[in-house]
Amino acid sequence: MNLDALTEDELTDRSDAAGEPSWLRDHRLAAFKRYLDQGWPNSRADEFWRSTPFDRRFTTDRELVDDASTVTAPRSLTDDLEVEVAQARFVDGVVTDITVPTSLAEQGLVVADLATAAAEHEETVAKALGSLTTGDPDGTGANEDRTIAVNDAAWTAGVFIHVPAELEVDAPIGVHIHATRPGAHLPRVLMVVERHAKATLYLEHTSVDGVDALVDEVVEVVAHDGSEVQLATLQSWANEVQHLSLQKVQAHRDATVRTLSVTTGGATVRLRPECDLVGPGAEVRPLGVYFADDGQWFDLQPYVRHIAPQASSDILFKGALQGRSQTVFRGNIFVARDAVGTSTDENNKSLILTEGAHADSTPFLEIECADITAGHGSATGQIDALHLFYLESRGIPREEALRLIVFGFFREVLTELNLPGLEEAALAAIEARVESADLSAFQVNDAGLKDHVDA
Amino acid sequence: MADLEIRDLTVEADGAEILRGVTLDLDKGKTIALMGPNGSGKSTLAYAIAGHPAYDVTGGTITWQGTELNDLTPDERARLGVFLAMQYPVEVPGVSLTNFLRTAVNAVSDEEVPVREFMTRLRTEMSELGVDESFLQRSVNEGFSGGEKKRFEILQAALLRPQLAVLDETDSGLDVDALKTVAEGVNRLRGPDLGVLIITHYTRILRYIDPDEVHVMFEGRLVASGGPELADELEDKGYENLKAGAAT
Repeated sequence: MNLDALTEDELTDRSDAAGEPSWLRDHRLAAFKRYLDQGWPNSRADEFWRSTPFDRRFTTDRELVDDASTVTAPRSLTDDLEVEVAQARFVDGVVTDITVPTSLAEQGLVVADLATAAAEHEETVAKALGSLTTGDPDGTGANEDRTIAVNDAAWTAGVFIHVPAELEVDAPIGVHIHATRPGAHLPRVLMVVERHAKATLYLEHTSVDGVDALVDEVVEVVAHDGSEVQLATLQSWANEVQHLSLQKVQAHRDATVRTLSVTTGGATVRLRPECDLVGPGAEVRPLGVYFADDGQWFDLQPYVRHIAPQASSDILFKGALQGRSQTVFRGNIFVARDAVGTSTDENNKSLILTEGAHADSTPFLEIECADITAGHGSATGQIDALHLFYLESRGIPREEALRLIVFGFFREVLTELNLPGLEEAALAAIEARVESADLSAFQVNDAGLKDHVDA
Repeated sequence: MADLEIRDLTVEADGAEILRGVTLDLDKGKTIALMGPNGSGKSTLAYAIAGHPAYDVTGGTITWQGTELNDLTPDERARLGVFLAMQYPVEVPGVSLTNFLRTAVNAVSDEEVPVREFMTRLRTEMSELGVDESFLQRSVNEGFSGGEKKRFEILQAALLRPQLAVLDETDSGLDVDALKTVAEGVNRLRGPDLGVLIITHYTRILRYIDPDEVHVMFEGRLVASGGPELADELEDKGYENLKAGAAT
């Protein structure tokens, strides 16, 4: 089945072959209608696509991949943690293995194949699946473009995670999506964290070198009242992958949500780390780090919607660029008319390491309510010569000083959350980029030196 | 030949000439105080010794133990044992204090210092200088108070064990207790293997650190030199006399 030419018959056959319940088949077919009703994003017409030309950076004329028969499972970040973890792996559009430690299973934690769960946990899955992509016309999830509708209609494999009320899962739950074949990969993740439960999800993305794959992914996380959810995503693709991802959390009353997106891999990555604050007192901290190297194009679009009053959000994304790379940051905060007492802030900082890199940054606010506090900021700059001088004056050679400064730029974000193994993995990915760089080409901004001059 | 020899040094910053021919000798084991009013060029001399990129040496030489420093990078100078405690220590966001210190200590040492030994030394020096252990988790100078920054400069000197320490207005912005702590820290470092150049506007730090010589800088030149009594004289009469003298 080609991504450009889905058919109702094929979708129906696939759904039946997978033994999906009829509600799920109908759900897919409804999405198929939305898929037919629109074309692929038009960067000239759609304001959210204005900075990234869809037709130049994404290829949709691809066959769906759903065969992992010849592949050995990759090693996952969560394999290296010193604790027992629940985890699931997708390889080439198929869920290949799922592990849940007995102790957690006995406490009710579910990590299951989504198609199976659609029958076995019908009530929960039917209510949540697609609830963040197909909302009512006045609410959230409306106006989704075809990149989302195509996943709603044709996702080939999915994982369902259910954390029952009041269960605190300390170890991260790992979901690893891995591509070894070219073509279109359509993974789906649904996570429901019930009231006062606590869980952390690591979503890791990798691919084999040289594989030209398109990964169109939808992740939905429902954080119920008083729950505490952390979502960390690692975009660690090899150089060829095109990645479209909606990573969306819905935060109910007093839920605390923290997200961290670490993007270092892929040819083009367009990430939508989103959060809808639908309950009073909910709180979200969307964090992101990214490092774009020669030829890479990252489009980061964190979006927070303040629907309920007295909720707070604070977006911070930091990126470094080298070579001929492009990054787009378009942060969006929407505050609805009734969302009184909202507190929100968003910031983006870009570090341009070498000439030729281009960072495009727009922190955007759309506010319908007067009684709120809101801030936004954007800074793009180079390594500060004064920082460099200070480190060098202590005997640290220039190249090592440059590395320390670049890591320091990211460390502020990476140390904020206590995510075992993740800071190390992120720094290792960044280090690999810095190692390959020509440090002598790094641009240094002398402006700060002048302030230091003895008047 | 003195360990530090500065000869006819002229230095420009931002196109303006600041040092107009400075000649100064300093041997290890000695402490020299360099005094002078604001804007006289004291800090410029400090930065020129350390190799600050905004200061251009336009003439003269700085020689340290027989090696001319003029064309060396700041890190090369530091590895020869030169240390500058800065008047305005720089905040380096995100770079952890522990990582920074360890990298610096390894850079100036002949061989890598084992982590355990390094941490023991670090903790000892911190407690001597009254720096709380919580600082280990912080970023270099980030959010430090003025006094904390100055203490941290001396802590670095203690760990890096330089042979030449230039202290640029290390006393400014310190209350009496902090001044004593910092001065005691400097006195602990003093010995036959360290030359100290104390740059100060005021005489109060010299109550705690006895200089062997005092030099006075005015408008980019050394205009008076003498023993510790010269500092007392400045304390009594201020820099006004000096200005009057220089004008004639």
